[in-house]
Amino acid sequence: MSTLWLAPALVLYVLAVFLFIADMVARQTRLNRYALMALGAGAISHTMDLVTRGLQAGNIPVGNFAQSLSFLAWIIALASLVLIVRFKMPAIGAFTAPAVVVALGAAYVLMPSEAHKLPSTLRSAWLPIHVTLAFFGEALFVLAASVSLVYLVHESRLKAKRSLGMIGGKLPSLEKLDRINYRLLGCGFVLLSLAMVTGAIWAANAWGRFWSWEPIECWTLVTWLLYAGLLESRLAAGWRGRRAATLTIAVFTVLVGSYLGVSLVYPGKHGGSFG
Amino acid sequence: MALELFILGLNHQTAPVEVRERLAFAEAEVVPALSQLKQGAPSIAEAALLSTCNRVELVAVSTESARAAEELRGFLALERRVEADAFESALYHLEGREAVRHLFRVGASLDSMVLGEPQILGQLKIAYAQAVRAGTLGMILHRTFHRAFSVAKRVRKGTLIGHGAVSVSSAAVSLAREIFDDLKDKTVMLLGAGQMAELTARQLVKLGVQSLLIVNRTFERAAALARELGGTAVTFENYKPYLKIADVLIGSVATARPLLGPEDIEPILRERRYRPMFLIDLGVPRNFHERLSTLENVYLYDIDDLGTAVTNSRAEREREAEKAEVFVAEEVEGFWRWLDGLELVPTIKDIRSNMDRLREIEFGRHRAWLATLQPDERGHIESLTRGISNKILHQVTTELRRANGFVDGVYAAEIARRLLGSDLPVEEAEPGDSGDFFDHDLDSGMPVTRGGRR
Repeated sequence: MSTLWLAPALVLYVLAVFLFIADMVARQTRLNRYALMALGAGAISHTMDLVTRGLQAGNIPVGNFAQSLSFLAWIIALASLVLIVRFKMPAIGAFTAPAVVVALGAAYVLMPSEAHKLPSTLRSAWLPIHVTLAFFGEALFVLAASVSLVYLVHESRLKAKRSLGMIGGKLPSLEKLDRINYRLLGCGFVLLSLAMVTGAIWAANAWGRFWSWEPIECWTLVTWLLYAGLLESRLAAGWRGRRAATLTIAVFTVLVGSYLGVSLVYPGKHGGSFG
Repeated sequence: MALELFILGLNHQTAPVEVRERLAFAEAEVVPALSQLKQGAPSIAEAALLSTCNRVELVAVSTESARAAEELRGFLALERRVEADAFESALYHLEGREAVRHLFRVGASLDSMVLGEPQILGQLKIAYAQAVRAGTLGMILHRTFHRAFSVAKRVRKGTLIGHGAVSVSSAAVSLAREIFDDLKDKTVMLLGAGQMAELTARQLVKLGVQSLLIVNRTFERAAALARELGGTAVTFENYKPYLKIADVLIGSVATARPLLGPEDIEPILRERRYRPMFLIDLGVPRNFHERLSTLENVYLYDIDDLGTAVTNSRAEREREAEKAEVFVAEEVEGFWRWLDGLELVPTIKDIRSNMDRLREIEFGRHRAWLATLQPDERGHIESLTRGISNKILHQVTTELRRANGFVDGVYAAEIARRLLGSDLPVEEAEPGDSGDFFDHDLDSGMPVTRGGRR
């Protein structure tokens, strides 16, 4: 199955990446406005694609690995638009837009030509709720990792005393980046927790069991614990700044590894769609 | 051309401060002085006076610029009660294109002591407003100033001439803003109340810092500065317990060995829950041990780091100034084309060709009907219409020739051209570029050419 909307979305996202990076490297430009437009236009085209697929599937279009990647890319795109506009920091785009492109690019390549029908036992109102919560949580973790990366770049420039150059002025202050990272992690954690609860309820309805020790469930539990630990380290020990940023990226790497590993190697009942 | 634009002035490069301060005009003195000038110097058609701490410049338009310059010298000497010899050697007298170029460069901050500093444009706008109030501006200077404003805007937008810190204190402040998001809830501690530390603290207070601790060996000095800046004075023996609330620490104490090292700050960091600390070391010998920069979330900059930043951004501004000079050169040419076009001969030529063009258009429109006429009838119509246009042209030309050589001549030519002429070789003006300050029409009743015929 293919729609006319996916390719334009991908092209626009790629354009946004180039514009964001050019804006950060070049010293005096207003490219970020066009970068934002490209990202927005890409998201609109992407939305059309998802709506079309959703109508065809009769439910939220996350029936297979490629579709779930595409859905994730869409949420990252939306969330980074919100982040950029809300906190007025286009520099973030140079780090989040590539994540969108990677996710959607992979989805585009892997997208099967036939629509995947969900087995009827799994069709339920809990599906979109569970999936949306899980994906939003993950998108926020993607953004938290991106913000942490920006933090590390900016911090190392300040430490090396190279910040009085021009890029420095375009990056948000360390304090702001750190605060945003914390908020993203907090919200992401809440969403992930809710996703686990709704997933359990859904599983109980479909299979009569809340928890069945599937690989995906175990790994989700592991990442949930890691994020809990990350938040705890900040609240209890006051770990912030460089340490928090590094840990955010480390935990995110575990998340991505488990996502890919579980989806591709042990699909289980989640049918290759992490959620 | 009968009218000449020129500048008589001196600046920080040609005159020492002892001379500049004697010639400077206070803001309130400018309008009366210009009014005085209007009455006392008949050869001057338009004038404006720019007086700042770095320059005193008279921008004027006259039919006889040599005499006018003489009158202006006399005016300066008389107004400021300074004998002309005292400043004669520092004066520069720029005419025509050079004068335009100079004014554009001044407005764009290319002639400033600190390249790219932003105040000069505001000062130029004030000088313009004062001349408007004194009624000493005419068509030419109105346009010259507006052009200078838009050149300045173009330079500011199109180059990085205003970027980067040009002093140690502003470099420190801009770093603080890269580390901290909001300075309002931050505490700044001065260890030693040296001059540079004080300057930095002042700038930080201006940016919203509300909590300021001042430590000094001489407590009275700390107390006096604390009163002035709204901070709290702390005795030198007693400052260490306060370190844990200090987000920005500025050291400028005369000391043989570092006052603070990693062993002092590390436990404090834990207490602060690793909130970042910005250490600015302005002391020589240094106040903070350099190994402090290895601590997590501690950012240490010493005087050399900041000095390097300043040197770099100065060099950067100089490179950007070269770009700006290109813009200025372009703008001068554009402006000059307009000013040149105000001359009499091109004006008459232009009006004549426009008349011919209009006649041709009309003949073209009636071509079908004209074709039905006999050749001699056509000839009659031809000479009839030419007669009308020649009569109009003759009257205009006579009047313009009569006015030529007088101050009004060039204005009359401009008006005639605007009423009867074709397209002017006016430089292309960006839309809205001239209306960003004042939009006065001339007090003298002269029309403003701004946006004239587009």
